[in-house]
Amino acid sequence: MSGLLDRRLRAQAAAIAAGEADPAELLEATLERIEQRNPALNAIVATFPEQSREMLAAAPAGPLHGVPIVIKDEWPLPWRAQRFGAAEMLAPSAPGESGPYRALRDAGATIVGVGNMHELGAGSTGNVSVYGPARNPWNTERCPGGSSSGPAAAVAARLVAGAVGADGVGSIRYPAAYCGLTGLKPTFGRSAMEGHHMAAVSTTIVSGPLCADAADCRLLGSVLFGEELVAGDLGRLRIGVVRDLVSEDVAPEVRVACENAIEALREETGAEVREIELADLDPAALATVLIANTEGLSGLSPSRLNDLDPELSPIGRGLLKYRMLLPAAASVKAHQVRALMRQRVAAAFEDVDLIAWPTVPAVAPPLEAPLVELPSGTLTADQANVRGGALANLTGIPAVNVPVGLSDGLPIGLQLQAAWGRDELLLDAAEALERANGRRWVDSLPPLARAAETTEA
Amino acid sequence: MEVSSRADEFIPAGLASFGIEADEIELAVIGAAHGMFWPPILELLELDTSGAAPERSPDLSGPPVTT
Repeated sequence: MSGLLDRRLRAQAAAIAAGEADPAELLEATLERIEQRNPALNAIVATFPEQSREMLAAAPAGPLHGVPIVIKDEWPLPWRAQRFGAAEMLAPSAPGESGPYRALRDAGATIVGVGNMHELGAGSTGNVSVYGPARNPWNTERCPGGSSSGPAAAVAARLVAGAVGADGVGSIRYPAAYCGLTGLKPTFGRSAMEGHHMAAVSTTIVSGPLCADAADCRLLGSVLFGEELVAGDLGRLRIGVVRDLVSEDVAPEVRVACENAIEALREETGAEVREIELADLDPAALATVLIANTEGLSGLSPSRLNDLDPELSPIGRGLLKYRMLLPAAASVKAHQVRALMRQRVAAAFEDVDLIAWPTVPAVAPPLEAPLVELPSGTLTADQANVRGGALANLTGIPAVNVPVGLSDGLPIGLQLQAAWGRDELLLDAAEALERANGRRWVDSLPPLARAAETTEA
Repeated sequence: MEVSSRADEFIPAGLASFGIEADEIELAVIGAAHGMFWPPILELLELDTSGAAPERSPDLSGPPVTT
């Protein structure tokens, strides 16, 4: 059964559908693997074997029948309230059925665990959580990325083959990049979001898949979208590149890997690479952060802030209080910037099919000090990462991280962005890039999984 | 005046105006956040967005609707 655990999501689903694998055995083997590997990672913060077995027993025939999946601590389950990675989440939280839960259940999947996440979804590193930090399987002293830290670490360490994350300001793509995974941030509104505690107010958050490769993201994404993400013909692809901080103020090894990947994609598909103008990306990133933060203000009041759970991290408490000091004029301006950038992005996609730049400007930083060294100097990982991650959330367009290299044993990711509704194109392009690289990066295993494979064999 | 010295007044005054209490660690976090966010917020406020046609309740699942 160990072999099936290490296979792709689609291979697990196909083996079960063909009667070649027993889903009950796969579930038990997955739970056993979580028990073995998770203590080094803290990727999964809750398992519930009884409910998982009940879910499997009642599972309908579907595209994920019997396949174990992890879901981020951002949605409730019928038997467990979400905690949002925090001692106190400042929003109603109770057990229940969320959109992603229903989508997984109706597809026949088995939810085997809840993935850790950065406290309150407020960080790109995953080093702060009420459960303690999740760890990167490529180097357990490094950040796994956030806020979908646990789902990413779980898939990278092959605890499961697929996980559901959420992306409000890059929160699927950052951990995908740090952990060497393919992670899709869907077009806004296209994937299941019901039951999220901010579903009614958020204009940035979407659910999305984290998997080893694009074909698995297509399968899990189709379930979350409620429609098949059909593979298509890339045709004569036009790839847009931007000469700006987002692509130039990056660590040299990241820049080289991403430029090589764009060239490989060009060669593989016969694409044309064009330089495009996309001004004001820095203000756009700030606007995204302001919008995401002010949308979360509805649960805040001075009295509430004076009565925060002491187990909430000092960083979390301080940032929540600082939100109250953000000027309303900046929030209004942020929405004007959103309108401006949506128009610019729409204009850009008249000339190109994809916009490509590094997902994050440096490899995963240390858990203890999540700082990154860039040509411009030392920045916090959050400051640096938001430059490349925010635009898709601000404008609503889809984006995907594709693994394109390793540096010092840590993954490098290229981000591809497409026009609204062209999520399928992103997956087609990601698959083309995998082919161009001979699947070298999507098939790489982190040391933790490699060592465990040997031990378990 | 430097941002840091303005923050010395802005942060405690702002919190006090809301009646929000903060301990030393929280104040340090808020100070760091303010130092990081405030200069770009001031730049953002000066950004010329007059070229952007406003979108009322934009549908973020699609491109902007031009009228």
